[in-house]
Amino acid sequence: MAAPSRAELVRIIFDILRTQLLSVGSEFTERSSLVDAGLDSLAVTQLLLAIEEVTGVWVDESLLTPENLANAESLAACVYELQRLAS
Amino acid sequence: MSAWQTAAPIPLTGADCFLRAFDAEARRRNGASHLSQLVLRLGPGFALEQFCDLLAQVSAANPLLRAPVRRPFGLLPPVYDTLRARREAAPSVRFCEASRRSESVPDVFFERLNGTQDLRRGELLCFDIVRYAGGHEGTDLAMTWAHLLFDGSGSERFVEWLAACHRGERQPDDLAPGEGAGIAMGAEAATGTAPQRGGPRARGQRARAYQARMASFAERPPRSLAGPLRRTSQALHYGVETYSKDETLCVVARAQQQAGFLTPVLFYLAAAIRAHHAVFRQRQLRAASYVVPVVANLRPKGAPSAIFRSHVSMLWFQVFPEQVEDFPTLLGELKEQRLARIREGFLENGAAAMDFARWAPSRLYARMAERVLKGELASFFFAYTGDFLPGLSKFFGAEILNGFHAAGVLASPGSAALLCLRAGHLNVGHVRQQGVFSPAELSTFRLQLRRDLLGLDVER
Repeated sequence: MAAPSRAELVRIIFDILRTQLLSVGSEFTERSSLVDAGLDSLAVTQLLLAIEEVTGVWVDESLLTPENLANAESLAACVYELQRLAS
Repeated sequence: MSAWQTAAPIPLTGADCFLRAFDAEARRRNGASHLSQLVLRLGPGFALEQFCDLLAQVSAANPLLRAPVRRPFGLLPPVYDTLRARREAAPSVRFCEASRRSESVPDVFFERLNGTQDLRRGELLCFDIVRYAGGHEGTDLAMTWAHLLFDGSGSERFVEWLAACHRGERQPDDLAPGEGAGIAMGAEAATGTAPQRGGPRARGQRARAYQARMASFAERPPRSLAGPLRRTSQALHYGVETYSKDETLCVVARAQQQAGFLTPVLFYLAAAIRAHHAVFRQRQLRAASYVVPVVANLRPKGAPSAIFRSHVSMLWFQVFPEQVEDFPTLLGELKEQRLARIREGFLENGAAAMDFARWAPSRLYARMAERVLKGELASFFFAYTGDFLPGLSKFFGAEILNGFHAAGVLASPGSAALLCLRAGHLNVGHVRQQGVFSPAELSTFRLQLRRDLLGLDVER
């Protein structure tokens, strides 16, 4: 199976956040702040596990910087880079 | 008054029932209730009369605050019996004047934690207020509650709501069901059940998996500084060390760098374990392992969260002395355990196990926990609650100079480390049972904690 594109990763992460982890409304977008949306220590770990399950990519905790966790797009960029380096 | 506040008894969550069991156990063994406390150290200008008036209105509008906690017919799952809430059980305010303010917390706050509140009579919440020099030197306020009325997050939300009521932005009777008790009315309230995922069989399997994990700790049983559970009157005391802004910046940066942004809790936990380990070494004791529970908030993320009842599960960590000698090794081990437990669904398993506490008599449940851990409940209790009331700078007209959580700790384990941040300062609270730490051991504990938090001896 081909690795997901960057745009697909954004959609995957956004869907995980919206349907599994966060109680957010339609105002929540791919560029919404994850911290403001309620992402906390437990939710971020659950997010990383869900991303690994779908993409096979594990995001090490050392990469959990404020920049990478700013929104779904920035996290997808981080996952995409890890995926690219691994391939 | 909203419908949820009067319509029917409100069921306790599984976590509430678990805490109720510990309340019964603490009273039976140590003659004290299992209480939690939030302290506000306020500047001048606290509006005492307005506070008392508003509290009376809040209590009248929210019977949950004075509702007896009991099992209907002695058999059914415990409820807040709001229909039988008594005015006499309304949150009390004990007030006293003092001439001078000091760094340490007033003794009346410790006395409160060492006392009892009768859940069956609806004694759930009370306040102690100490005013200094007629208010010119400020006021200290402690809110103390039966541990099941709020969890830590809920208690801060309650304080925020009281402050908003005082500012006229909220009303004493405006809590919606989801915001108040975190429940939807209807079938759940009528049947006395709470949301549970999966059928009884799936929940039973989860609870058994949780128990099996707990039982595995007994292969190298934990030890606390106070020794196995015993009968002795509770006489606890606590101290809070407030780090300077520069020190706090250093600690927070280290925590984020080493444990991750949003996940710094394990950094603080590692430091607390090593501080206890240092005292074990000083006493020339060797624990087979250290076992520490860490509460996890199970509220939906991003939604307005519930104030009342506990919405938590617990992660348990077990580390061995050989893993504790070196900080990075310990932190790495804690990270691995955290990930493994979340991956295996340990939090959900814990929630399922605590749901069974709805049905099991409280003493039976507490005994089970004791038996599994070979006479110890844990090596110590720990909490890192992040920013304390981050959006609140004033409370009833007075500036909040500092604030933190404290909590009762049973005669065994006899020690609890409670950390939080307030306005750029790290507060390190240490609750300990009288006699568990000698002055020299307290010094060792405090110094080791500082070393690890600030990275003062990175060579170790």
